[in-house]
Amino acid sequence: MNRVHLPRSLEGAWEILDRVPEARVYAGGTDLFVKLQGEARSRAVLVCLERIRELRGIRDAGKHVWIGACTPYTEILSDPSVQEHFPVLSDAIRKLGSPLIRNMGTMGGNICTASPAGDTLPPLYILEATLEIRSHSNTRRIPVQDFILGPGQARLEPGEILSGIEIQKGHPYPVHFYEKVGQRQALAIAVVSLAVMMRLSEAGDIEAIRMAFGSVAPTVVRPLPIETQLAGAPLDEKTLREAGAMLQAHLFPIDDIRASARYRRRVSANILQRLRLRGKASMKDSHRFGP
Amino acid sequence: MMASDSPLEIGSAFPRQDAVAKVLGREKFAADYYDQNPLWAGVKRAGIPHGRLKAIHTEAALTVPGVVCVLTHRDIRGSNRQGVVRKDQPVLVDSKVRHCGDPVALVVAETKEALERALRRIALDIKVLPAVSDILEALDAKSPRIHEDHENGNLLLHGTLEKGRVEQAFQECAHRVEAWFHLPWQEHAYLETEAGWAVLQKDGEVTLVASTQTPFRDRAEVADALGLDLHKVRIVAPFCGGAFGGKDGITVQSLLALAAIHCPGRAVKMWWDREESFIAGAKRHRAMIYYRAGATASGVLHALEAKLYYDTGAYDHLGGVVMALGLEHAGGPYRIPHSRIQAFSVYTNNPVSGAFRGFGVPQVNGALEQIMDMLAEAAGQAPVAFRRRHAVRRGDINAIGVTVQGSTGIQACLDTLVESASWKAMKAFKAREIPFKRRGVGIACVMHGMGYGPVVPDVAHAKIELQTSGQFCVFCGVVDMGQGNAATCLQIAGHILNQDMPRMALVLPDTQKTLPCGSSSASRTTYTYGNALIAAACALKKRILQYAGELWMVPDEKEVLLVPGAVRHLPSGREMALADLAKGLNPSERVATARFRAPVSREMPVKDPALRLHGIPHVIFSYGVHAAGVEVDTLTGQVQVKKYMAVSDCGRILNPQLIRQQIEGAIAQGIGYALQEAVIVERGVMKTKDFSTYILPCALDVPEMETAYVELEEDSGPFGMKGAGEVGMDGPLPAIGNAVADAIGARIFHYPLTPERVLAAMDPNEKTGQKG
Ligand SMILES: Cc1cc2nc3c(=O)[nH]c(=O)nc-3n(C[C@H](O)[C@H](O)[C@H](O)COP(=O)(O)OP(=O)(O)OC[C@H]3O[C@@H](n4cnc5c(N)ncnc54)[C@H](O)[C@@H]3O)c2cc1C
Repeated sequence: MNRVHLPRSLEGAWEILDRVPEARVYAGGTDLFVKLQGEARSRAVLVCLERIRELRGIRDAGKHVWIGACTPYTEILSDPSVQEHFPVLSDAIRKLGSPLIRNMGTMGGNICTASPAGDTLPPLYILEATLEIRSHSNTRRIPVQDFILGPGQARLEPGEILSGIEIQKGHPYPVHFYEKVGQRQALAIAVVSLAVMMRLSEAGDIEAIRMAFGSVAPTVVRPLPIETQLAGAPLDEKTLREAGAMLQAHLFPIDDIRASARYRRRVSANILQRLRLRGKASMKDSHRFGP
Repeated sequence: MMASDSPLEIGSAFPRQDAVAKVLGREKFAADYYDQNPLWAGVKRAGIPHGRLKAIHTEAALTVPGVVCVLTHRDIRGSNRQGVVRKDQPVLVDSKVRHCGDPVALVVAETKEALERALRRIALDIKVLPAVSDILEALDAKSPRIHEDHENGNLLLHGTLEKGRVEQAFQECAHRVEAWFHLPWQEHAYLETEAGWAVLQKDGEVTLVASTQTPFRDRAEVADALGLDLHKVRIVAPFCGGAFGGKDGITVQSLLALAAIHCPGRAVKMWWDREESFIAGAKRHRAMIYYRAGATASGVLHALEAKLYYDTGAYDHLGGVVMALGLEHAGGPYRIPHSRIQAFSVYTNNPVSGAFRGFGVPQVNGALEQIMDMLAEAAGQAPVAFRRRHAVRRGDINAIGVTVQGSTGIQACLDTLVESASWKAMKAFKAREIPFKRRGVGIACVMHGMGYGPVVPDVAHAKIELQTSGQFCVFCGVVDMGQGNAATCLQIAGHILNQDMPRMALVLPDTQKTLPCGSSSASRTTYTYGNALIAAACALKKRILQYAGELWMVPDEKEVLLVPGAVRHLPSGREMALADLAKGLNPSERVATARFRAPVSREMPVKDPALRLHGIPHVIFSYGVHAAGVEVDTLTGQVQVKKYMAVSDCGRILNPQLIRQQIEGAIAQGIGYALQEAVIVERGVMKTKDFSTYILPCALDVPEMETAYVELEEDSGPFGMKGAGEVGMDGPLPAIGNAVADAIGARIFHYPLTPERVLAAMDPNEKTGQKG
């Protein structure tokens, strides 16, 4: 059995964390409790962060939107400014887990778990989100891609917690796209995922694009050279096929029980083709498209 | 739909009587007993696939506070062997370890925590032997023998059915196709994992409550394995939280009884967690299946050859019987003049396989129905037309030389499909073009035999009582594992006695209270028990009417009618409450019992007594045809089933709601079998340990399903019905396989059809041969 603390304020949390530095924090617990089960009856002291008001909610601060690290997904999905400004993130969240998991789980948990398959990570990479990290005595900010080091590894010191995620508004990329390839239609871990934001010219060519892949390397892959290469190119089969070939040098996938590395490589390249549909559709409506 | 207070009637749709208690969480399953502050029992499993047991070190475990006892094979006084046909499975390993899940030591402790700590402290000294994990390798004479005492080495059972002159017939064929198919293990994945509790009573009786499909057979097995008097073992079988065949045979029973006799007076509970259920629970047999089929120049199905290899794992369990049912069904519902079918059930050091809805038939039908499509294509015929041309009718000789008897609706099912709006909609579905998607439609015929076959008596005994409250109580000795047969029993009796649901009561299987009924399996549950119950209910009804007639001194009991809660004298309108009537009868007058034995085939398509014992041939079959519309993503290889229709011939329908649940549930399970589910085992070691890697379909993977029925009357069935529990499982894999082949223009022979396999099959640069 574990001892669980349920502080209602940050002050309360610091008080416990100062006293029991080895305590483990959690929000929804949808990752942590699965992990504890594997640790042969861990007796770790647990501190639940989900009731702390300072860590919850969504604030539109004009230039950016701040999302509390412990805000459950369901709440994020119903927020109008997230829907309006970051459809790629809403799409990814809609494909994460199931309604039950989305009622419990949080983006803070997804980021700190630092799984290459985490569904919110590719969108956060291309949105160039900044994380707000707090300890009892300090607050620091760090870009998401610098925070995540590898599977299960994040740049979080003892006594620190992730308090919020800041995302700049007004990115000049009206077309958003998220695709998750999993083993079933819901409740599936991504075998490959792709988040894209792009801007097209009147003629339908790519003016600018950002892309990030999940589940194909120890961390999310954002292939910057390909983004550069694609700027100005036509959005057609050939361009995307060449991008898919170039992409291979950026991927370091593994073979596991869910899929082979070979399959992950192939599908990463293949699903770029789906952007062509998105290109056509974007002439009318500016966002939200899934396979 | 019928209101709950109107008299029960056969044919009307009404919610099953167990629904409310289950939805409210009030129904108690075997796992739900905590009342007596139970001790916890658990087992140390071998953890290696093959070896010789040298020593079990239990000393450290015994020092854990809260541990009550640690038991090994030395504590067993009986045969220490379990099994239905071949008793080859130890309760606790005494000499050899034959798979990773083999139980070696049994621990009983005051708490779950103490139990787990003690289990970790048991050390096993096992001399490791080379593990046999490949089916063909196991059959090699040089392979290590898994059961040294078995005369045929690692071949548990084999059989051949032959008809006509196959070799010559193939030479006469203008069109020939052949292929090897590979079907995976499938996990039952019931919500309620294996569970139960037991207590040794003061009078020396072991009372055992278990999640089981087979209480009466369990009683005999437990008594024999542990050396107990049969009548000192009582098995109580509540509703199962799912079973699908996985509880057709011993799981926790002998272990619990052993624990109970060493802890007199204390209730002992055992409840496997999901990981243990994966390692130790039975699976659907993995199979390798070869088919060759030929048609004449005019497109007539002329010859069929098949070789079926089933991996039964470490023990027989029901592996021989499963193989025999596959063998019998390998020719499908077709007229085929020349056939030779061979089947092999093979011991390996893999997890134990056993009964699973369909019982060997989903594997063969998965292959056969794809071979039929391949042959139809070779002969230039449409899949439906080819099947309509060859489907059996009553009086035909089927593919294995047995006369087709009983209601035979396969032609009617095909006609219903073709004439349906859904079939037309499927064609329109296929015609629509969508970027990066390919669409296809496939069909498959199904047939499924009912009951135990010609030798093992397929018998049930029903008992019904008029209670002094005026209620009728049905003593149902056959388990309801979730399929709803208990509700159907009440419906049958209520219909005959003209009572509503509140006036019906139910006693679930209990070897002390109910009469022997055989297993809840083989699509025979409602058929066999229902027939017995009709006889018992009719006898009781007659006795009640006669008694009332005599009491009222009327000339003829035909003047008396049963109405809900009462008897009524029709000429005078006079009534007497059943509760009052019951008080005038002595207890034995208020009870009626009856026995029914299912009909058996009088034909001898095979002389081999072993095959007859294992169930060949059956006489009554349910039939059906399934149609699937799929969409394949050309970028990822993902397959989605978008449309589904199943037309079934299960005789007359007693409750339309229940049969729909059976067919839809089977389709969902079949979609998983076709596309997603695969137990992965490497050299005997389980790789899919839980539901994060064993991928069951979820609601979004299962489309809207349409079910239709041809309600032919089965003369031998209760109110004209036939079994509906399994036949739906035989169709989805081949229907989906044919649909995917139709969509992508290539056929995949390894199941499940993972995106990876589908993507490779669509790639012209990949080699996709017809061989394994
Ligand atoms: C059935 C199931 C399905 C799932 N499906 C998906 C899916 O489709 N896609 C996907 O990406 N994930 C999925 N997950 C994983 C999980 O739900 C998500 O990663 C979720 O976002 C985790 O959030 P949480 O709040 O529950 O994390 P928790 O379990 O509470 O925490 C996870 C980790 O982060 C740490 N942590 C949490 N919050 C903080 C904080 N504020 N500061 C510092 N450290 C913190 C914890 O210590 C822990 O190590 C699934 C999980 C389950 C059980």
